[in-house]
This record gives sequence, C-alpha cells and structure tokens, in this order.
Amino acid sequence: MTRHAFISMETVFLKSFQYIRPESLEEAGRFLAGDAPVKLLGGGNTLLLRIQSGEEEPAILLDVKHLPGFKDVRYHHNQGLKLGAAVNLQHLVMGLEIRRHYALLHQTAQKLASPQVRNRATIGGTLAWASPVSELAAPMLCYDAVCHVWSSRGLREIPLSEFYLGDFQTALAGDEIITHVHLPAFPNRTYGVYRRQTVRHDGRRMIAAAAVLAYRRQQALTHWRIAVLGVDDRPKRIPEAEAALEGAPTEEEVDRALHIVQEQIHPVDADYARADYRRASLNVLLRQAILDVIQQLQSMRS
Amino acid sequence: MKHDITFTINGESVHLTVLSHQTLLEVIRNDLGLTGPKYGCSTGECGACSVLLDGEVVNSCLVLAPEADGAEIMTVEGLSEDDELHPLQKSFIDHHGVQCGYCAPGMLISAKALLSRTSRPHEEEIREALVGNLCRCGAYADIIKSIQVASRARR
Repeated sequence: MTRHAFISMETVFLKSFQYIRPESLEEAGRFLAGDAPVKLLGGGNTLLLRIQSGEEEPAILLDVKHLPGFKDVRYHHNQGLKLGAAVNLQHLVMGLEIRRHYALLHQTAQKLASPQVRNRATIGGTLAWASPVSELAAPMLCYDAVCHVWSSRGLREIPLSEFYLGDFQTALAGDEIITHVHLPAFPNRTYGVYRRQTVRHDGRRMIAAAAVLAYRRQQALTHWRIAVLGVDDRPKRIPEAEAALEGAPTEEEVDRALHIVQEQIHPVDADYARADYRRASLNVLLRQAILDVIQQLQSMRS
Repeated sequence: MKHDITFTINGESVHLTVLSHQTLLEVIRNDLGLTGPKYGCSTGECGACSVLLDGEVVNSCLVLAPEADGAEIMTVEGLSEDDELHPLQKSFIDHHGVQCGYCAPGMLISAKALLSRTSRPHEEEIREALVGNLCRCGAYADIIKSIQVASRARR
C-alpha cells in the first residue's frame, strides 16, 4: 500500500489490553487461572462496547474463536445437533441442517440484530452474556439445549434451563469456557413459532417475546415447550403451562396454560413499556403462537 | 501489545504492526488511507464502517485489528475494477442512492454481500440485508431501487 492517510481518526476508542489467541483450552485455562482480569472474546459486539464505556477493564482478551472444534457444526438424525461455541449466529440463518431440522432456531435467528452483528456474534458468547431478553435463548430452551463446558477441573454439562440464574447471571464459573452446545434430535413433525414485540425492528427494546414448540404423534400434539423473554429476570420455560397443553389442547386448556404463564412471570417497568403492558403483550403473543402451532401440526399429514 | 499481521485488502496483501486494542476500522482508515468505511456510531448500529471480512459483511469498528490476521477484506474501494465503477455504484449514481453519502460505502458493501448470495433479490430481501445500515437522510427508497436496478442489469 502506497497511499497515505489524509484523514485521521483522532480517537483511540478502546483502553489498552492484550489480545491473545490461545491454541488450546489448556492454554486458555492458564490465563483464566492467573491474576490478571481476563475476558473471553467471541464476536465482541457487546464486550467491546463495554470496554469503550469503561464497564469492563480486562487486561487480557482471549480470542477463543479459533480453538479446535469451536466452529464445528455436526448433525446426526439420532444424535442431534452439535454447535461449536464460536459458530456465528448467521449460520443459524443460513445453515441447511438448521433450516431443515431446527426451523425454530432459523426463524428466530433471522430476526436477530443485523447481518453485520450476526456474522460476528457467537453462540457461546451470546448465551454467556445471558441478557434477560436474549432472543437466542428462546429457541434453544425449546430445543432442550445443553451447554458443554470445559475448565481445568474437567468437563461438565449444563442444561440451558439451569444455565440462567438471573439478570446477566449464569451457572458458569469464572474459569469455565463453553465449548459447544448440544441439541437432541426432534421428530420430523415438529413445529415451532417465535413471536416478539419490540420497539425496534432489529430487536432492541424488547417488550415481550415467546417461543412455542410441540410435535405431533399420531393425533396427539405432545412435548409442548413454552419459552418466554422480557417478562422476568431471565429467559425461561414454563413447564406447568406446557403440561396443560399436552394432548390436543382445547380452547379452555389454552386459556389455562396462558393463565399459568401469567402467574409465573415477573415483568418490570422499562422506560418504553410498563410491566402490565409487557404482561398483556406476552399473553397476546403466546396465544397467537400456541394457536399457530396447533393449526400447523393438525394440518400435517398423519 | 504489538502484533505483526498480514491480510489481503481489495486484492492487495499488506503487512502491518498493530496494537491489541486497535480496531480494524482505525487501521483501514489511518494506516492504509482507505477512507471509504466511515466512523459512525462505534457501537455496531449504523453500519457506516461495513467491510467484507472473508466475504461476510461486518462492522469494522467492532473487529480488533489483530483479529484480521490472515483474512481477506474488501472495502468500498475494492468494488470498482480498472477504474470502471461496479454496477451497484453506477446504479446508486443513476437512481439517487447517494444523498449526503456518509452511509453509501456501507450500503454498497451490504448490497455486494447480498448480491453475491442472491442474484435477483426481492425488495424484502434487500430490506433485510440493509437492517444494519442506517441512512439519516432517509434515502432508503432510492437506495433499495438502486440495488434492484443493479441486480436486474447484471444478467
């Protein structure tokens, strides 16, 4: 390059840190065990903003995207789907195995942020950030996702339903790294719907959202899942409401499930939506989603 | 901390020494003098800094310079060939896709990424592809038209 800079950006936006690309989990683990404050770098969409604003002041950023297996995607019709922690969210939009076998994941991912953000954002990073309005969590909870976690102490599995502990809190210890996420296989006649109400088209300023999934076995609609966002301190399933839908739900049973959900959520006021508005919105979204799933499953050939 | 990195930008290979906390946008603009990608919001909302990183559109303000080691990058400067404007660029001129022009380099890059996957996108697909690019002049209608016309002209 022979050209010279003629307009210079004066600001250096980020405070100084060391960028390190570990070659192995063991190497990453040694940094995590050290005294210096370390942050794992995935897509950086959130972390770099927090460094800009001074909310985070890491001495070391560990870029874990290049660790062995972290970008693997494997699907097997019995064993299900394995998604490496550094697989980006755009893969959930484009990937053929996702579109075919985990359509709810595809449907939800399409609505997430923008192509620019999805191309960078990683599955591991998005889950670990644990926003109460994490849209990725809704389909992942419905598909019974399990986080596989490494630390120098060993491996462990954390079902996503036990992963979120509250506002931006997870069951991950400070020295643990998500290596991949596993989703079990689902029958062909599975159908899911994600519905949301947000102030902005890119998903920011969420009022409420719900994902609903079930599958059809002969005439029965079974294995219902309901995941809700924006109405509690964490993304969560509502198992009691799911149980109320088991079989082929009648109108009264749908009403009962919705009533159970209302009893188990704790929305808070936001400057763009009052708690009671979020509650009412969720009810409408969830009813639409449940009815849509019933209709779609019943119209499938048996 | 310093890093010696190598990447390809608009077909040219470059070697650079960058700092850990420099962004790709800073390096492209300040070190390489390619001022097509713009500094807008620095938070990943506006898309003015969009570049292609290994063929995929990203916000270069949220990519660390050392992360680009080994990558293939394209900025708006790489669209034209032999002083011949890219069909998208011509179409933006002909159909008023450029108003103040600040968003245009990012819009063009997002459009390029879209057309490399989908040769004849519907209006809805174009809108979805531009979700991450803001135009504060509000020239969206003409931007979408520019991309539509360019995609039809290519065949």
